[in-house]
Amino acid sequence: MSVSDRVEMIRQNYINSKPAISYERARIWTESHKRTEGEPVAIRRAKAFYDTCNELDVKIFEGELVVGAIGEFRKCGILTPEFSWTWVDREMDTFDTRPQDPYIMTEKQREFVRKEIFPYWKGKSLEEHFLKQLPEESRDIVIDTGIVDNDSKWRQAVGETTPDYQDVLFVKGFGGIIKEAEDYISELDGASIEDINKRDFYNSVIITSKGIIRFANRYSEKAKAMADLEKDEKRKAELLKISEICAKVPENPPETFYEAIQFMWFTQLGGIMSENPLALNPGRFDQYMYPYYKSDIDNGIITKDGAQELIDCLWLKFSEWVWTISSNTADFFAGYNQFQNLTVGGRTREGFDATNDISYMALKATDEVKSHQPGLSVKIHSDCPEEFMDAVTELVSKGTGFPAIHNDQAGYQMLLNAGYEPEDARDWSNCGCVVPHFRKTGEWTAAVNLNFGSAIEYALNEGKSLLTGKKLGLDQKSPAEFKSYGAVKEAFLSQLANLVKHSVVATLTAQRLHMEMVPRPFLSSCNEYCMKNGKDLSMGGAKYNVGPVITGIGLAVSANSLAAIKKLVFEEKVTDMRTLRKALINNWEGYEELREKAKNAPKYGNNDDYVDSIATEIANFYYKEVHKYKDIFGSHFNPAFMGISNYLPAGKVCGATPCGRKAKEPLSEGVSPFVGTDMSTPLAAMRSAAKVNQDVYSGGTLLNLRLNEDLVNTKRGRSNLGSMIRSFFSLGAFHVQFNTVSNEVLLDAQKHPENYKDLLVRVAGYSTQFVNLSKSMQDAIIARNAHKSY
Amino acid sequence: MELKGKVMQIQNFSVNDGDGIRSTVFLAGCPLKCMWCANPEGMTPENKIAWQQKTCIGCGKCAEVCPQNIGINLNLPESREKCTGCGKCTEVCPNGSRKNMVTVMTSDEIISELKPYFGFFRQSKGGVTFSGGDPLLQKDFLFETASKLYDSGINIALETELYLEFESVRHILELFDTVFVDIKLMDCERHLYYTGVGNERILENIKKLGWLDKDVIIRIPVIEGVNADNKNIVNTAEFVNKYMPKAKIELLEYHRYGESKYEALGIKCPPKSFCTPKRDRIFELKRLIEKTGVETIEYK
Repeated sequence: MSVSDRVEMIRQNYINSKPAISYERARIWTESHKRTEGEPVAIRRAKAFYDTCNELDVKIFEGELVVGAIGEFRKCGILTPEFSWTWVDREMDTFDTRPQDPYIMTEKQREFVRKEIFPYWKGKSLEEHFLKQLPEESRDIVIDTGIVDNDSKWRQAVGETTPDYQDVLFVKGFGGIIKEAEDYISELDGASIEDINKRDFYNSVIITSKGIIRFANRYSEKAKAMADLEKDEKRKAELLKISEICAKVPENPPETFYEAIQFMWFTQLGGIMSENPLALNPGRFDQYMYPYYKSDIDNGIITKDGAQELIDCLWLKFSEWVWTISSNTADFFAGYNQFQNLTVGGRTREGFDATNDISYMALKATDEVKSHQPGLSVKIHSDCPEEFMDAVTELVSKGTGFPAIHNDQAGYQMLLNAGYEPEDARDWSNCGCVVPHFRKTGEWTAAVNLNFGSAIEYALNEGKSLLTGKKLGLDQKSPAEFKSYGAVKEAFLSQLANLVKHSVVATLTAQRLHMEMVPRPFLSSCNEYCMKNGKDLSMGGAKYNVGPVITGIGLAVSANSLAAIKKLVFEEKVTDMRTLRKALINNWEGYEELREKAKNAPKYGNNDDYVDSIATEIANFYYKEVHKYKDIFGSHFNPAFMGISNYLPAGKVCGATPCGRKAKEPLSEGVSPFVGTDMSTPLAAMRSAAKVNQDVYSGGTLLNLRLNEDLVNTKRGRSNLGSMIRSFFSLGAFHVQFNTVSNEVLLDAQKHPENYKDLLVRVAGYSTQFVNLSKSMQDAIIARNAHKSY
Repeated sequence: MELKGKVMQIQNFSVNDGDGIRSTVFLAGCPLKCMWCANPEGMTPENKIAWQQKTCIGCGKCAEVCPQNIGINLNLPESREKCTGCGKCTEVCPNGSRKNMVTVMTSDEIISELKPYFGFFRQSKGGVTFSGGDPLLQKDFLFETASKLYDSGINIALETELYLEFESVRHILELFDTVFVDIKLMDCERHLYYTGVGNERILENIKKLGWLDKDVIIRIPVIEGVNADNKNIVNTAEFVNKYMPKAKIELLEYHRYGESKYEALGIKCPPKSFCTPKRDRIFELKRLIEKTGVETIEYK
């Protein structure tokens, strides 16, 4: 590994500095809104965006080649009070000290935002509207409970989109987009409500496009001014180059690799300034960057090392912006993760292998800089070159948890099932963690997290929480009256269906508000069909409007629990429902022997059909139940079993479960087994996971496995791993990701965090610095069963 | 009549017993009694009951059902004397602290456990390895099971001691893609002392193995204090070079991971004087072997 001194310097800063909050964007945004009262909301947001581009401090940090910052600090998070501010007001005094994802914020800053920013938004934020509009009966289940959680959709922006570099941005530049919007406006008649809406939309796009161009031009001026003062000739030349590039892009299409990289970062910054989103995905980086790389190499404009250095710099830029989130959200999305998912590999739209030099360089960049962003995903298809699989398993063996490995064919199938045209489906890239996605889409890929464990408790405890006794589920007869396993299962499924219903209500309430309150002109301009349709993303302007995704948490726990009841109560009759309920209420205390039996009942993750068939049955039911609802655009809701770190907070609100799990312990993630219960082999865990019909869960599925590092520290071991992945995918599975660091290393890192600042581990669908995780999250990762052979 | 085999374990996802991803089927019974044996439950073919004291919660269910009236502590010498391995206690133990170490299975039962992994074998150029004990002690059963895998096109490997009449198993050896044979010691007397049998027959059979066109791997379990001296290793390599020039030698570092099994079976662990060789020592020995012209191999 040999990164340049420049990259190493930036990297050191990245791993050693704590992120700081900048209120600049919020200040400018607020001032702007005070001036635009009464104007159409899209125009107001566009003007606020322009003003931010025009006023935000222009910062070029030491040694940077790729420039553009979201605030005055190098590692920086921003505030978006138009979405929510009450939680910031409540929580910012402990931003410094909270266990998960702390930020630096000074007393002076806090004073300023309390005096100058928050008062304006009182009663105006998305959060406050949502809380007023959510129906009474859903409140106790939806608001900060861990049962049905969608707070990232009313405290935050949506994100979950991929700018279209291939067909829009690199072809037209924002200058071209302005021209196009003007042409569309000139064709409007203006005497219909549709035309009035379109006019507002196109005007909002013109304003944001001018904004991002202005922002880049200010960087150009700044770089020029810095060059004039720079003594070091080499740096002076670099600054002049930066100045030249920022004068050109993103107004105009890029012509070189360097320009394309800088264009991309400005686009990313535009997205961040506009809404501070999660999952603002760079998409198929190797596909749209390669032509520029190839042409530069052929023309002697760049060397391979030079291009690699730019990619490394971009990776660090991705990582320097941190997502500002509530402590509740931070439990679900731990590790300063912004989910900027970057995908390489896979097939071309025509179906040929698509890997190229950039695919390999992306893997190399993650290996070299070990940054937690971008979320690096690879797509593996059946004709994927061995060399690429070798590069993938090589990176797995480094223990960074990257890349997330996806089955190209399964992703394709998931999108076909969601109604995509075959070429578009083949062209999929990842969104967030493990969601198959396409750049001409509007969707909410992480709309809701739904706790399956809660459905288990309501089924077994007369609709009440085991921990609080509060009735949150449907009416339910006493478990002593369940005369068959079938009756228990039906009770669970009906409770689950009820939680799905609350999820849908919460999502529709939020969707309507997003439409009314927070249109997204900048990101809409990066989406081809929004321009064609003259309609904002939030209004359904995209080519594909895919239904919101409801992620199930705890599939393994619920399958294991039903299996334990089936076996112990109704087959072996070693206990009865009344006793089991008492054991659960008492968190197994005084029922140790019964707990042993429960723990020894069949467990999902061991290729045991007894329990795997229950998991599949639950999953199939969940699919049908979620899919029957339609969203605000008439699209079906989609189910997923993906990850994030949601299985921890979801577990905290759940009492003991019949599988032998104790109260408040984590649930299980995605389609992964419950920790420590996949005692057989990773192959058996893979087979269990593949029994779930993954290709219908268009919201993505996730399998996390721990592999002992011994298994992958030789070439032969890595080849076997490659074969294992291909075999898993041939069973129809969608995703797998590995942690290969040994527990000894992780335990040592807990003791001596100072020595492990760059140790990346896989959380769930993404990787982040181990030392940036709270103790409970770290423990959960250590508890994952490491598979080894002997 | 359907053949039945005595099976210690089917270990899926084995990656150190041959090429690719494999499953290893351990068959019980062995003609040797090596003092360092890592699988003591397989020294004889009959079932033994393991008792894990560490996980036992002392509920006494095992004692209630035992036809021999053995108490919870199965590892008292008199308890072990009485135990017939009927396995009744394993059925009632709530958490698997009592376990059968040898189970009776048909070849179809074995194959159905292996089938879910055929895809992994094919993709990784792996397969199934038969180990033990010595699988050739159950030769008819082995032949039946291995033939079924052979017919399915699955790569099969055999680990054997070759302490038997060669012609009686030749047809079985023919089936396998790879044969692993141990040469534990070149000195016949010491071989007798440590394993209970002399090595003449084994060495003669290894020579015959050369008649078959198989990949042959000669394995040496390297144990400091027993056979890790230069002389033994070089003698072994020279023997291989002379009679089996195409065979490769694999050095297996002795380990004490089998000790928990000794404890669970209530038998005395191998002497502490048996030591794991250092990694550097293994490299040295490999160099010595390669000097004689024999290739070494490692499945790591």
